[in-house]
Amino acid sequence: MDLPSALQKLSIYRSRNTRASQETFDKGLLVLKGNGLKKLGDEGWAFLEQLALAAIDVGRLDIADRCLQLLTEKFPGSPRVDCLNGIRKEVTESPEAALAYYNQLLEADPVNVAFWKRKISVLRRIGRIDEAVDELIELLDTFYTDVEGWLELADIYSSCHQYTSSLQSLSHVLLLAPQNPFYVLRFAETAYTAGDVPLAIKSFLNVIDMADSDEDAPIEQVPSGFQVRAWLGIKLCSRRLLQERRLPSPSQTPVPEHLQLIDELATERLKTVYAGRDKSDKEAHEILEWLSRG
Amino acid sequence: MLSNLNVVSLYLDPQIRDWVLFPITLVMILVGILRHYVVILLQSPPKKLSRAAIREQRALVHSQVLRATSTNSPVPESFYKSISQNLSQAFTAGTYLKDGPPQGDAPSTPPNPLSDPNAMDGMMAGMKTQMVMMVPQMVIMGWINFFFQGFVLIKLPFPLTLGFKSMLQRGIETPDMDVRWVSSLSWYFLNFFGLNGLYRLILGGDNAADAARDMATPFAAGVPQAPGQAQDYNKLLIAEKDNLELAEGLYSWVGKDVEQRVLRRYGKFPPSS
Repeated sequence: MDLPSALQKLSIYRSRNTRASQETFDKGLLVLKGNGLKKLGDEGWAFLEQLALAAIDVGRLDIADRCLQLLTEKFPGSPRVDCLNGIRKEVTESPEAALAYYNQLLEADPVNVAFWKRKISVLRRIGRIDEAVDELIELLDTFYTDVEGWLELADIYSSCHQYTSSLQSLSHVLLLAPQNPFYVLRFAETAYTAGDVPLAIKSFLNVIDMADSDEDAPIEQVPSGFQVRAWLGIKLCSRRLLQERRLPSPSQTPVPEHLQLIDELATERLKTVYAGRDKSDKEAHEILEWLSRG
Repeated sequence: MLSNLNVVSLYLDPQIRDWVLFPITLVMILVGILRHYVVILLQSPPKKLSRAAIREQRALVHSQVLRATSTNSPVPESFYKSISQNLSQAFTAGTYLKDGPPQGDAPSTPPNPLSDPNAMDGMMAGMKTQMVMMVPQMVIMGWINFFFQGFVLIKLPFPLTLGFKSMLQRGIETPDMDVRWVSSLSWYFLNFFGLNGLYRLILGGDNAADAARDMATPFAAGVPQAPGQAQDYNKLLIAEKDNLELAEGLYSWVGKDVEQRVLRRYGKFPPSS
C-alpha cells in the first residue's frame, strides 16, 4: 500500500472516530517510516495521537512512546497529551497509579471531561462500580448533553441487572439523539429484558417506523441489519402478549391494538428474510421453525 | 472653468507629502499593529470555571433538550413525566445554583458586579484593553494637532458636495476652499476609521488593532460576556419551570399509535382508517 492512500484512509478513520486499531497501526507505521509526518503538516499531530492510541490498543508500546514523546515535545502541558499519557500509564502501571494520576490532573482542572471520563473508566475496570456510577452521574448532571456518558451509564446499570435505571439513562439518550434508531433498538431490548413487554413492543415498532419512513414501498424490501432484530423483537413480544394480554408494564404503557395483525406482519417480514436462505443454513432453519410454532 | 482655475491655484509642497502625509499614515498603521500585540500580551487566559458554575450555566440545557421534542417525544410518558417533574422540583428548590439554594425569604438582589471577583477580573481586562486603545490615539491626535495644525495634506481625486466640508477640512476655517482638499486632522480621522481593512489584511480577521470598533463598545472589549450583565440564574430557572409545564401539556409520545402507522405502511390496514 502506498503512502497517499494510507494517509487518506487514516484521515477517514480520524473523522469517523473508527477504532480499527490494527489497520490504523499498520498504516500509521507505514506513514511514520515513509516520513509522511512532514507531509501532513499540522494534521500530523492529530495523526500522532491516533497512532499512539492504536499502538496502545495493539500493544506496541514502543511506537506509542515514540508518538507520545513527539507530542509532548510539541505541546508541553496540553491536557490532550496528558490524557494520552494517562492512557499509556493505564497499560503498564497499576490502576491505582493511573487513578492517582487522573485525580491529580482533575485537581488542577476539575472540569476537564476527558480526564473525568478516563477516571470513571478506570474505576469501572477495577470493580469500584458504585464510585464509577456516582462520578458518572455527577459528570452527566454537569454536562447533560454527553450521549456517550449516558450510554456508558446505561451499560453499567444493565451489567448490574438494574434494568429500570438503565432504561432511565437510555431515555436521556433518546432525548439527546432522537434520530438514531440504534438507540431506540437498545431501549426496546432493555425494556424487554426489564420485563416491560408492552413498552418493548412499542419501542420495537418505533424502530421499524424510523427505519423505513423514507422508503416508498417497504413491503417489497427485505429487512436487513437492525431491522431484522427489531422484527424479531416484535415477534417475541407479540407472541408473549397474545398468550397473556395482561402482562405487567411498570411504565404503564398500553398494549398496542391489532396485536394479531402485528404478529402476522412480523412473521411475514421475518419469513421474507429467512425463507430465501439455503436449506443448510441452520440459523434460518431454526428461526423458521420457531416462527411456524406460533 | 472657474473650478479648474481654483484647483490649479493651490500647489502643495511635495515635502508635505513626504514629511506629513506619509508619516501620519505610517505611524497609525504601526501603532495599530503594536496595539494588536500588546492586547495579546495583556489578555489573561480564560478563567477556569468551577464544576458548580458550569453546572449552573448548563442547567437550562436539561429542560431545553426535554422540551425540544415534547410534541413528538421519543420517551414514553412515565419517563417524560419523571424527568420533567424532577427538573421542576430542582429548579424550584434551586439545587442547580452555584451557591446552593437561596436562603429563606431574602429578596433576590441582582448580583453586584463589583463584589464578584470573577466579574471584577473581567472588568479589569476590559479596562486594560481600553487603555491600550485610547492612550496611543490621544497621543497621535495631540501630535498632529501640535505640529501639523491647519495643514492641507491631500486632494481627493473626485468632487464632493459642500456637506463634506466639516468632515474633510476639520481644523481649517476656510469657507470657500474646495471640499476636495483634506486637512491633517481629517486625514487622521479617515485613517482611524478606515484602516481596519488593512489590519485585517496584515493581521488576520480576528485582530485587536481596530480602534473604531472598541470606541463603540467600551468595557466589553475582549470579554465575551459583559460582566455588568451577570445572569440571575435563580430567576431564569424559575421561569423555565413554567415552560416545562407548558411543554408537559403539549407532550405526546411518538410511539402512541406507532402500530397503526407501521401496519398502514405495510398495507395491513386501509390507508384512510
